[in-house]
Amino acid sequence: MQPTPVIEVDDFTMTFGDKTVIDGLTFDVRPGETFGLLGSNGSGKTTTIRALLGIYTPTAGRLLVQGRPYDPAVHGGLSYLPEERGLYKKETVIDVMTYFGQLKGLPRAQASAWSLHFLERVDLASHARTRLDKLSGGQQQKVQLGVTVMANPEILILDEPTKGFDPVNRRLLLDIIEDHQRAGATVVMVTHQMEEVERLCDRVLLLKDGRAEAYGTVTEVQEHYGGRMIRLTYAGVLPTSSAYVIETNEKNYAELSLTSDADAQVVLRQLLDAGVTVRSFEAGLASMEEVFLRIYGADAAKEA
Amino acid sequence: MADTTRRPGAWHNLGTVIAFEVRRTLKRRSFWAMTLAVPALMLAISALVIFSNGSAMKSVDASQRQQVPFTYTDASGLIDPTIAAKSGGTPTSDADAARAAVVAGKADLFIAYPADPTKQTIEVAGRDKGIAQPTDYAGIARSVLLASAKEKVSDAKLAGVLTGTPRVHELTYADGRVAPGVASVILPGAFLVLFYLAIIMLGNQMLNITVEEKENRVTEMILTTIQPTTLILGKLLALVAVGLVQTLVLIGPMLVLPGLIMTLLGANLPSSADLPPDALPSMADLASAINPPAIAVGALLFLGAFLMFTGLLVSIGAIMPTAKDAGSAFGTIVIALFLPFYAMGILMADPHGVASQVLTFFPLTSPVTAMVRNATGTLYPWETAVTLVLIYGFAALFLALGVRLFRTGSISYNAKLDIRKVFSSRRC
Repeated sequence: MQPTPVIEVDDFTMTFGDKTVIDGLTFDVRPGETFGLLGSNGSGKTTTIRALLGIYTPTAGRLLVQGRPYDPAVHGGLSYLPEERGLYKKETVIDVMTYFGQLKGLPRAQASAWSLHFLERVDLASHARTRLDKLSGGQQQKVQLGVTVMANPEILILDEPTKGFDPVNRRLLLDIIEDHQRAGATVVMVTHQMEEVERLCDRVLLLKDGRAEAYGTVTEVQEHYGGRMIRLTYAGVLPTSSAYVIETNEKNYAELSLTSDADAQVVLRQLLDAGVTVRSFEAGLASMEEVFLRIYGADAAKEA
Repeated sequence: MADTTRRPGAWHNLGTVIAFEVRRTLKRRSFWAMTLAVPALMLAISALVIFSNGSAMKSVDASQRQQVPFTYTDASGLIDPTIAAKSGGTPTSDADAARAAVVAGKADLFIAYPADPTKQTIEVAGRDKGIAQPTDYAGIARSVLLASAKEKVSDAKLAGVLTGTPRVHELTYADGRVAPGVASVILPGAFLVLFYLAIIMLGNQMLNITVEEKENRVTEMILTTIQPTTLILGKLLALVAVGLVQTLVLIGPMLVLPGLIMTLLGANLPSSADLPPDALPSMADLASAINPPAIAVGALLFLGAFLMFTGLLVSIGAIMPTAKDAGSAFGTIVIALFLPFYAMGILMADPHGVASQVLTFFPLTSPVTAMVRNATGTLYPWETAVTLVLIYGFAALFLALGVRLFRTGSISYNAKLDIRKVFSSRRC
């Protein structure tokens, strides 16, 4: 039996004037999973999150969090890191963190204590009484992270979480997400970083023109949209074959997309028989980046 | 079908917002610098004025005590030589020589009393002693004449009437009752002053209610923890609390310190006995000036105007991308609000004319116009009712619009909000 979804979106439609941004979108997010909401720019990912959190009023459809429309008074266990982010820059770090802790339902003293503990963890304890605008960009990102994960949320919604983060803070954020995954939190990620999707996500939804283009586990989507791949480094000339299509071939590295009934072992034999020196050979599913490019390649080219 | 269930917990986190907003404002040095600057400046100016007045009064007293020797001619025969002599006067028969002595700087003062001082002008020629040493030569001429005239009147009462100020108690009547007069304007008019102070002191902060979240890009995080209506209400209530603190800081020193300064400077406040008898209203006059309906209407107009103006500024803040952009719109609104002050003459002279009616019923000019007319007793009951409905209606409209614009506009971070976009996002 499927567990009761933490998030349910049912036949959601959003229009702005004559423009339909989301058209009849349906999906759910299950407890404890990490869900990736993917799509090219303008595909409606952020609009969906904003409608789910009550910032936008949906034109039609039902968007529920834990079985009811989102309400700050009820859903204190949900935390959101928006794509456009910032904090009260003229206030001190501890004041801002404590304020958000209180807004998330913690008593003032507890919010303050949690904040100081977090600042210790990220080496910012000495800056607790410093105004935010006096901190470096990287330090402000750490404070933003603290605000996002304070009060140990059950549900984390992260819109482009690593956007603009330096490598140190990106590593910190991914560690924090993994900590929350291990603690059983449900995570929804909107991202363009496909390696993060492969590393963290259980299931994904790929939005295209306001509709669900692909929806399922990462493996299901990879199988359906990318198929099986062979990645190899070699010397010689790759022969043509009905068993594969050459997707990439440069500097003695190639990616071959296998046709539906082809066998990787048979292909390897064909290559060796054709006199190709194979230095490395890896058979597997298409990466999420390849899947993304296949679905949005034309869109990406248009944007470029 | 869209979910239209009413959300619970409408005031969730209201107290947290108020506490945060009040605390951070009161912790700000710039707030105290600005708040204390006004009373400090006023006290400094008051001290300077009191000190200057004290010095000037001492100087005048000294100059008055120092007798100015003068010569005079008396064609009227009214001047008593003894009284003139006591004031430093010496009679002369050669007016030209006496005048020439003053012109040459050899004498201080020459006075020529004409044959009929009631119809002809008294000629006074005096030596100029500069602005720093003011002289009252005309006063000397007048006081010698009055004192001499008084000596010639045998009836003491008549002499008193001639030289004193008769006490007068004036009563006017309207609708068979004693009319309260100018004093009746004070209490209803106080709401106008209060409104003016509120706009001056809190206007920019009202504008920042929505601009700040937008400029700091904190809106989305905030709106997932609190309803926009609650956030705006919390910020508004915090603003009122801060305004009360500012008012106390402004009024407190003004009540206490002038007396202290006077004491320290050795100056004396004028007592009521020194003032003309009808300069101050009696307690009975003050009691009759209390007009509860006018005060109640004044209070309602003030509250409605405050809410309307706040709603308008919240809406502007939600539309504009930065505080700087919003500031220019704020200036225009303030000019419109206080436009009736420029038309005060019309409001007084023709309170029921077309211009007054337009100003009374145009939403932006309505609050101030209605408050002025209410204070001066020229606002008819039906006009009061229409104005109140108008002001409260627009207040509700602007506040609702402000919340709606804030919800959508505050995440339109980089550009002015497209209002059509806000209203085209619709429910089924």
